[in-house]
Amino acid sequence: MKRPKTFINRVLHRHETYLTLIIILFSVVTANVAPAFLTAGNILSLLRGGAGLGLLSLAFFVALISGGIDISFPAIAISAQYITVRTMLAIDVNSLVFAFVLASAIGIVYGLINAFLITRFKLPALIVTLGTSNLYHGGLLQFLGTESVNVGGLPTAFSDFGRMSLFQISTEQGTLGISLFFVIFVIAIVLTWFILRHTMLGRGIYAIGGDEEAARRAGFNVSRIQYFIYAYVGFLSAIMGIIHVSMIQYANPTNIVGTILLRVIAAVILGGTSISGGRGTVTGTLLGFVLIVLIDRHLIMLGVPAEWTDFFVGIVIVLGVLATHIRLRLERKRLGELVVERAH
Amino acid sequence: MTTKRANNVTLLIVLVTVVAVMTAAMPDQFLRLGNLQNMMRNLPEYALLAFGIMIAMTIGGIDLSGVSVLSLSGVVAAMILSHHQEIPLPTVVTMILAILAALGTAALCGLINGLIISLASVPAIIATLGTNGLYYGLAIGITKGSHLGGFPLAYIRIANNDFLGIPIPFWVFIAVALLLGLLLDKTALGFQMKMLGASPVVARFSGTKNRAVLLKSFVIISLLAGASAVLLTSKVATMRPNYGQDYLLLAVLLSILGGTNPDGGFSSVLGVFLAILALQVLATGSTFLGFTPFFRNFLYGLLLLVVMVIHHYRDTGAWTILKESVFTRTEKSG
Repeated sequence: MKRPKTFINRVLHRHETYLTLIIILFSVVTANVAPAFLTAGNILSLLRGGAGLGLLSLAFFVALISGGIDISFPAIAISAQYITVRTMLAIDVNSLVFAFVLASAIGIVYGLINAFLITRFKLPALIVTLGTSNLYHGGLLQFLGTESVNVGGLPTAFSDFGRMSLFQISTEQGTLGISLFFVIFVIAIVLTWFILRHTMLGRGIYAIGGDEEAARRAGFNVSRIQYFIYAYVGFLSAIMGIIHVSMIQYANPTNIVGTILLRVIAAVILGGTSISGGRGTVTGTLLGFVLIVLIDRHLIMLGVPAEWTDFFVGIVIVLGVLATHIRLRLERKRLGELVVERAH
Repeated sequence: MTTKRANNVTLLIVLVTVVAVMTAAMPDQFLRLGNLQNMMRNLPEYALLAFGIMIAMTIGGIDLSGVSVLSLSGVVAAMILSHHQEIPLPTVVTMILAILAALGTAALCGLINGLIISLASVPAIIATLGTNGLYYGLAIGITKGSHLGGFPLAYIRIANNDFLGIPIPFWVFIAVALLLGLLLDKTALGFQMKMLGASPVVARFSGTKNRAVLLKSFVIISLLAGASAVLLTSKVATMRPNYGQDYLLLAVLLSILGGTNPDGGFSSVLGVFLAILALQVLATGSTFLGFTPFFRNFLYGLLLLVVMVIHHYRDTGAWTILKESVFTRTEKSG
């Protein structure tokens, strides 16, 4: 077979190619309608503001390729954030390292609780994480209270962290630089990509997603891999919690929950990840994430009223789901697999 | 089958115990007619959602969009009702129109869910997570997030009036429960739904039209959410898109408590019915005790997990092993 043809074929068959085209198209249109779009200030602010959503998308993505799902991540993020802030205030500690260590520990423990319930009792991940999400968040509000901590009361470590950036340049509009939030996000991307692509653990995550029983028989320790997955989701969510409080300089225990779930799901699903096939790539997820951030932040620039943003994100999700699964279904049919209509 | 029936007996015992404890603890508060009527008026709106989740689980899926279907169809009904004075029709006709519009919207939402799931082979979790955002986004877009009011008085009376001393919503709840019981246990569609949930491949090879069953099921599930929207808007006399958004956890909890198998193939309308009554009594009790809504959510989450763990032990037979080991130990010590 001729190489160039297969190469082009391969590119044309990739979900990522189409996503990239859509992103370019969207950017060109937005840049024409709103010149503010292509300024360095806007792009750097997107990188800073999007990092939290990006971390959660990576987390949701990892759970999804393993055939599982974790919808408790917003509850974990806000719990890790608020418990950390309150602890630091209570024992009078003002250290960013302490904040990250404590938050990560909370996130990992919460993730391990999810994993314990899912693997030990063979329970559906969706229902378990729906339950624990209420357990974590309800418990937080009941036992720690609903009082929010504002800028004045917050340890200064958070605001310092929020201002830190690489390559600072001073311009007329103020100092520009790449926020540390984005640096953390990049580290998380590389880490996730490395685990999934270059470790046995990563192969195991894909294998469980493809067929759990087959993975078990191939010698993968399925429950240990699942413990890792949900702990990793908890860890990334906790980091997002710290980034979130450092960005908005305000710790409110009712934040994050409720608003972010839709966007995270949208980013991951648009990225072509399929819950029923153990498929999906980090690149795809990142492209999905970029598209959602662009849509979310710039629909207003394009003249769409703010109250319709959720609806548009919803439409984008449904179209993304359809595209991914119709392709998958056609592929299965081509391979001669039996395709039976089912609900799961 | 015996364990499944035992589940209903357990639920009945729980219900009776809870009622007895509440009555004993708060005799002049709990058994008052007003309180009982209040409970009967409040529970149908989420009970219908719980039945929806039960059906979704029976066919092996889940429907996470129910609360948003409730939002959207409630908003559609409210839009017609709040303009009833400008519509040149008798109030009764406007009301019927509003109810039909709510149910029609719901049915359409269900049809969309069903089509996405059956035509594109999208798992129900993912499909309904997506449409959940879509329907809720539409409800927010239409209302700009604000609330709609000014309904005709006759409409508000539907949920706030009683018939034979029992609130009308509770009659609706009983009627729906009976209809669903008949549907699941006495009709071909019900049998096909269970078969689809137990094994889609077997269902397909036994001549079931899986796609048709899926479509019908998701339309029924959404119609229940639409009916719930009618009861809710009538009861509170206003509508806001975020009304009912908390009910998802509760609906899943009730479905599981009622003995529905989340992997598909089995459900018991009677079980879910009893679970709904028991939990409403508990919820009322927790309000009397001054629990915050956060704490109630915490308890619901905990209860859901505990019940699932118990079911796991029951289904794997570990329960009997545990009982036997305890039995033999006492025998030895005795």
